[in-house]
Amino acid sequence: MATNAQTDTDQPTLRNEQPSTSLAENSRYRLLVESIQDYAIFLMDRDGYVSTWNKGAQKIKGYKAKEIIGRHFSSFYLPQDIKADKPKRELELATRFGRVEDEDWRVRKDGSRFWANVVITALRDENDELVGFAKVTRDLTERKQNEDELRSANDLLREQRQELTQLNTSKDEFISLASHQLRTPATGVKQFLGMLLEGFVGDLDPVQLEYIKKAYESNEHQIAIVNNLLQVAQMDAGKVVLRKAPVNIQKMIYEVTEEHADHFRQRHQSIALDMSEQPLYVPVDAEYFRMVLENLVDNASKYTPSKGHITVSAQAKGSTARISVKDTGVGIAEKDVARLFEKFTRIPNLLSESVGGSGLGLYWANKIIALHGGRLEVQSKTNKGTTFHIYVPLRQVDA
Amino acid sequence: MRKILLVEDENTLREVYTLILSTEAYELHTAANGQEALAKCESITFDLILLDLMMPVLDGVGFLEEFAERNGGVHTKVIILSNLSSGHELDRALAAGARKNVLKANISPRQLLATVRYELET
Repeated sequence: MATNAQTDTDQPTLRNEQPSTSLAENSRYRLLVESIQDYAIFLMDRDGYVSTWNKGAQKIKGYKAKEIIGRHFSSFYLPQDIKADKPKRELELATRFGRVEDEDWRVRKDGSRFWANVVITALRDENDELVGFAKVTRDLTERKQNEDELRSANDLLREQRQELTQLNTSKDEFISLASHQLRTPATGVKQFLGMLLEGFVGDLDPVQLEYIKKAYESNEHQIAIVNNLLQVAQMDAGKVVLRKAPVNIQKMIYEVTEEHADHFRQRHQSIALDMSEQPLYVPVDAEYFRMVLENLVDNASKYTPSKGHITVSAQAKGSTARISVKDTGVGIAEKDVARLFEKFTRIPNLLSESVGGSGLGLYWANKIIALHGGRLEVQSKTNKGTTFHIYVPLRQVDA
Repeated sequence: MRKILLVEDENTLREVYTLILSTEAYELHTAANGQEALAKCESITFDLILLDLMMPVLDGVGFLEEFAERNGGVHTKVIILSNLSSGHELDRALAAGARKNVLKANISPRQLLATVRYELET
């Protein structure tokens, strides 16, 4: 905008030194300025009184030329700005620095406000004497409105995000509290049934024993679901902190499969361990890693029919340890494999009706392995069997 | 006879643990919260304390801290018998002198007896 004011004086002398041409160009130049509709362009004298008016000025500010010429330019300012001497200050700044730019509210003839970009340029003659000011104003109300809308939408999003985070925290706390509370009565049931089952009050007849066993299993299932819910709530709340140390993985596998020996026996399943003699030390959190292994071994047994076979193996492959749990069970259809690690997923199969599950075990296991900087993979064929591979780095890395 | 203190606020659980522990030759005392437990510890020296964590009046951690203050440390064997499997409370209890944590929901009556026997023998 500042160059506009310069062009006003420079152009004629640059283009042609003939005064007659200069006059003609001057009048064409005036025509150009007067007919511009998108910018209010006008001149003011040294004191700020309006001396010219163009089409754009009329369109933006609402005054006709005869209504405004001779009036002070402070008419375009808000009362509080006039009170604060803003028009005067802007002229002073333009005088001192050659130009001043401002973006603020201005007032139209009808009193309505518009968001204006204003540039005031000081005009000086050949002796550097101040002769007046040129003022160019653009109406940016629409842009301002868009910006404001964007800003408030942004604020709203930020607020909603905060609310969601809070809700999520409350949800985690609720699940945690509810699960703890649910454990207490479940424990009572377990202890009394356990006393009956473990012969504290004498022998039961076969039917009583069978019923108590079923009740005990049901209670165990309930406790397992509560445990899973708690684990997942803890995980989702970001409260899982791994304490990694080198663990003899063969020993852990041996212990975990020993713990499940009863299950294998009951289901007439055979179990094989495929491991090297050389101890394989893997930096993992012993507690969490063991729970993942238990989960996979338990699944393998649950989803393998009677007389099936389960193999657990552990190998070092380069800088990675691979622990695999393979079964000859019902398998997982190709279309279901992708959903396997999602929360609350239970894949329908021949055994899922009779096998209890929360749909949280593999979701949790996958996350725990990821926290170790590793990955959990699955290979499966319907009715042939499933293999889960755990890959974890052999060297300590902070995930 | 070995003296055991069972600190448990839930009536049903206190009852069933009493039934279980009474099948072996122990002198069993019970308390329904940390405050009651502290009072029992004033007059009796226990060989083992089975301590719940979340309890009204005075919780498990509060009991351990007060017990340590009065006795210059926790020299009695304390097993946490609670349904907290992890978290701040459990860490604090273990830091305050408890030997280990047993998750109530995961242990059967026979397993509880085996744990108690093991702790008393070692």
